Amino acid sequence: MNLLDIRNLSIELETPSGRVRAVDKVSLSIKEGEVRGLVGESGSGKSLLAQAIMGVLQDKWHVHADRFHWRGIDLLRLSIDERKALLCRDIAMIFQEPMSCLDPTTLIGAQLSEAIDTSQLTGNYWQRRKQRKEAVIKLLHKVGIKKHSQCINSYPNQLTEAICQRVMIAIALAGRPILLIADEPTAAMESTNQGQIFRLLANLNQFKNMSILLISHDLENLTHWTSTITVMYSGQFVEAGSTEQIFNKPMHPYTQALVGSSTKANLRLPAKSRLMTLPGSIPVLQHLPIGCRLGPRCPRAQQICVRAPKVTNFHGHKVSCHFPLFKETNKKVSVKGKVVKGSN
Amino acid sequence: MSVLLEVKDLSKSFKLKGYWYHKRTFCALSPLSFTIESKKTLAIVGENGSGKSTLAKILVGAKTPSSGEIYLNGQLLNNQHFKERCQKIRMIFQDFGTTLNPSLTIQQLLDEPLTLNTDLDETERYQLIYTTLHKVGLLGDHMNFYPHMFSGGQKQRISLARAIILQPQVIILDEALAALDPSLRSQMINLLLDLQQQMGLAYILISHNLGIVRHFSDDVIVLSHGEVVESGKTLEVMRNPQHKVTQKLMMSQNFRLK
Repeated sequence: MNLLDIRNLSIELETPSGRVRAVDKVSLSIKEGEVRGLVGESGSGKSLLAQAIMGVLQDKWHVHADRFHWRGIDLLRLSIDERKALLCRDIAMIFQEPMSCLDPTTLIGAQLSEAIDTSQLTGNYWQRRKQRKEAVIKLLHKVGIKKHSQCINSYPNQLTEAICQRVMIAIALAGRPILLIADEPTAAMESTNQGQIFRLLANLNQFKNMSILLISHDLENLTHWTSTITVMYSGQFVEAGSTEQIFNKPMHPYTQALVGSSTKANLRLPAKSRLMTLPGSIPVLQHLPIGCRLGPRCPRAQQICVRAPKVTNFHGHKVSCHFPLFKETNKKVSVKGKVVKGSN
Repeated sequence: MSVLLEVKDLSKSFKLKGYWYHKRTFCALSPLSFTIESKKTLAIVGENGSGKSTLAKILVGAKTPSSGEIYLNGQLLNNQHFKERCQKIRMIFQDFGTTLNPSLTIQQLLDEPLTLNTDLDETERYQLIYTTLHKVGLLGDHMNFYPHMFSGGQKQRISLARAIILQPQVIILDEALAALDPSLRSQMINLLLDLQQQMGLAYILISHNLGIVRHFSDDVIVLSHGEVVESGKTLEVMRNPQHKVTQKLMMSQNFRLK
């Protein structure tokens, strides 16, 4: 069953010159126990999407969706308070810079114990204090911090970034979430620390069956850790499918360029040869192209691309492009048929 | 191929606080030597605090070495003579957003190194800025723009233009590719490789990303706590990493060469 099922979610920003669609009809579904990667370059709206799921966007952003289901419950029909209560219980989020997300004036232990809900503690009120402390230590052990007493009695600035991120994960785990949204958890971190954090997340996924939405701007960092990937570009849905499908048989020109530009995916390429790139740069929010937003940069763009393409599904490999790329020849017929239909 | 830059027993140590008889020093960089030829790239990899940036700062002249000598084209570079060093060795920084002065136009920004280091008159400088902007894939009209009007990738191109405008021989890329988005990063890599062929530049690449190091560099030096633990041809080192630090680095990025 789908844990989270979002269909055609749009996020609009109120500006003096009218509303700007920062996120345009993005669909995202997360199954139970899967690690889904959400890939997009800067300005692709991936963090906005995560914040919209959590419901922590400011008032100037307007969110619409055709479907927004959480474990079969339609969130759009719930009142804001009910929705918040439900999401707070089931979803947790960790952010990009752990140092700046932790309170610099409070001890780590106090911040952790604050996150533990009283309903989790059993026993009378005089036992609570001790139980809470034990729960904190347990959480720290869960995220692989062995020197718990030293960690509890220190301030965030006394710890390294990787340990701070572990503490953030521990705080997120305190509510026993079903889904963990990790918004670039390893940005600006060393590669050895990055590996540690990713391994911790993978362990949590396997042993606790926790679903994870892993957000990153770099496709090559994610591929080792995710089972499925959704790619976004400039606020639009590009492609979704299993990691192998995305990485080995990309159907969208943008995904192909991402894979082609990755130096790690092209190890067979001779050193110092040219990498595949798209011309131009990422459009800014004020000047978004109409239709498919990749249009001006796309090597396969044609006249029809001024209209936004519909999402087509090929055996679970969803792609949003008028002219998807294929390796097999027998499928080309169906594409031609579609093009003719589109031009009529 | 002649040797362009030669570094002999370069080291850097900092004095720590202490009493007369307990003077302690912190060794940021223990003596190391290497050479670079033109059209070659030397990559420096290592963890945080391994002395990569210290080495870059010493080479570019922002810090003075405790010992050792740097030879450029066979000539000894003195610590006092910045003028020649400024022209021949240039650096591009990681954070493209903050390296450009926001109150100057691109023309003024690129004019600065020219007025300080060359005797060109105004029209010649204008021409040079114009051609340099074209070289890095920007237009001449961009001269009158301010840095905030550019996107991240374009800003990094401007820093590159500022680096190559003096016809340098060595460019130091201190994590210059790390903060860019993947599609812009590959554009930048292509541009850097083209310029290397055209102008015969030598690059010193400081990077975490082993994929880029593999693609971009000819030789590699692995630093750990200021010491060179492994060096050699990039492909050979990566095919067969000997030292624990190198192996750990490659493990952490799931990087394997066959």
